[in-house]
Amino acid sequence: MVDASVAKRLVQAIIDNLPEPVPGRRPVHTIGIGVKGKFVASDVARTYCIAEHFNGQSVDVSVRFSNGLGGLEQHDGWSDVRGMAARFHLRDGTGSDLIATTLGEFFVRNVDDFFKFSEVAKREPYERRRWWQKLGDLLQLKVPPRNPYPNETQSVDAGALRYANRHRFSQLGIFQVGLIGAPESYARASYHAVHTFWVTGPGAVRRPVRFSWQPVAGVRNTKLTDVPRDKYLFEELKDRLRRWPARFMLMMTIGEEGDALDDPTKPWPGTRIRIAMGTLTLTEVPEDQDAAGERISFNPCRLAPGIEASNDPILEARLGAYEVSREMRGGCPFRWRPDDAK
Amino acid sequence: MMPSNEGLLDRIVDWLPTTLGFKRVASWTLVPYWARRTPVKPLPGGPHPSFQRGDNVQCMMNLIMPLKIKSPIGRAEAALAIAQNKDTIYAGLNNVGTVHFARFVIVGDNICMFSVYDGDFTNYIRDFIATIGEVFNEVVKLVEGGEKVTPCEKNVEAFIQWVHERDLYQVPDTATDFLRDQEALNGDRAVSPVNDDLTLLPRKLVLQLRANANVSLGNGYRAYPGFSVAQVRKQLGLGW
Repeated sequence: MVDASVAKRLVQAIIDNLPEPVPGRRPVHTIGIGVKGKFVASDVARTYCIAEHFNGQSVDVSVRFSNGLGGLEQHDGWSDVRGMAARFHLRDGTGSDLIATTLGEFFVRNVDDFFKFSEVAKREPYERRRWWQKLGDLLQLKVPPRNPYPNETQSVDAGALRYANRHRFSQLGIFQVGLIGAPESYARASYHAVHTFWVTGPGAVRRPVRFSWQPVAGVRNTKLTDVPRDKYLFEELKDRLRRWPARFMLMMTIGEEGDALDDPTKPWPGTRIRIAMGTLTLTEVPEDQDAAGERISFNPCRLAPGIEASNDPILEARLGAYEVSREMRGGCPFRWRPDDAK
Repeated sequence: MMPSNEGLLDRIVDWLPTTLGFKRVASWTLVPYWARRTPVKPLPGGPHPSFQRGDNVQCMMNLIMPLKIKSPIGRAEAALAIAQNKDTIYAGLNNVGTVHFARFVIVGDNICMFSVYDGDFTNYIRDFIATIGEVFNEVVKLVEGGEKVTPCEKNVEAFIQWVHERDLYQVPDTATDFLRDQEALNGDRAVSPVNDDLTLLPRKLVLQLRANANVSLGNGYRAYPGFSVAQVRKQLGLGW
């Protein structure tokens, strides 16, 4: 496990780049909504993983969808990474978490990279590029940077681009962030767990895998030319679930020898074997949002027997960093014992 | 449209790249200018060489062969060459045994063969030469430059190279892998310190599509990735 002081520095680096402190709240993915649902594994899931939630019986699930930005301002319509943290509630009261975002690949390989990225990708004033500068871009066959959103005065885009220009491993993740857009609904985006996990099947067969949630309703973003609305995703989800459940397929891709097992910046080829592990059906946005999402302390390393974290340094660092963040906001502690696992 | 507190010129410049006029003028002037200033080599076709098993099943071949006779008569000749040899082609494909799908298509004045196969590209073409070489000879003699590599049974290596050169460049699924392809072709080994300019990606793409006018976009969707023809047929009980 990453040293506790390093975990604190990680969280502090994030807090230092916030527009304003958010005491008692998550420093990033601050704005979110909790949802209730059930997961039913596919018939084949148990042949790949012995974890309880893949045995085919219905499992209660708590999901928290979120906007990636830190801070209390809600900008649903801005281009931003979205989060989908899922807690599978197991029979003995423990849980197994799967934390995913709309970003396919991460932009740093390890903790050192993250600290260097944090130094470069600071919030900077973000202004509309002047017309003659844009004309210059067009003459060079470049696409001018986007115009600021209404009320957007600062951004990390320029710093992130500078970092990407110097570090090829980060380019895919940062490029994806630049194009990620805003979903029409939290239920209309694909979410990727980025890291590699090891799953154990019957006969103790271990396989390296990566998980993704794929929306049954399909992926759909808002139009880039539309005026971004600040608040629509919560109401959209409530309305959607009042009418009909929202579903996600859990897809599991199996890695091969030579694939990046410990590096979340590297994608796996689309030619890898892909298993449909089950269907998540979301049914309700509970009134008590504290219990449904805000108080739950998700952790990507909280895993049911049958699933293990890989040696990915970022995944390892998240174990400690999520705990530090949880302590700072007074969330439920990370426990394995059935009586207090929350 | 986005609200704007900027002037008329700002709005015009925002609107400009969406106009047909700008795209045409840029194609006639800016693209040739930048192609001269920053020349781009054509990227090679076919799948990227890989040792990994999953990358060596369900590979794509997108073969575009310009016809010598660029008219309905030339296209009819090509169609006839395929139609007259249908049984030979189907029997040959069964004998090759590693082909998931294959089809001939006429697009413009090109006869195209699109296929999905397992294993090494050169062996795939060798198997074809062995099983339906005669059909290839009939088709290739209608294609520009085809006479140099026919009969293919007597020009095996030259024929494989000829096919490879007409197999489309497969643009990777990720934009950054496209940059890595360009760097590999130009001998760039990412020496430290790296000093890229990601804002040039649009121009690099435009110029690459000038050098490789026809490309395959992305790695392609696979309903059952990672499985060979042999595995699928065995699992479905279709025999061999």
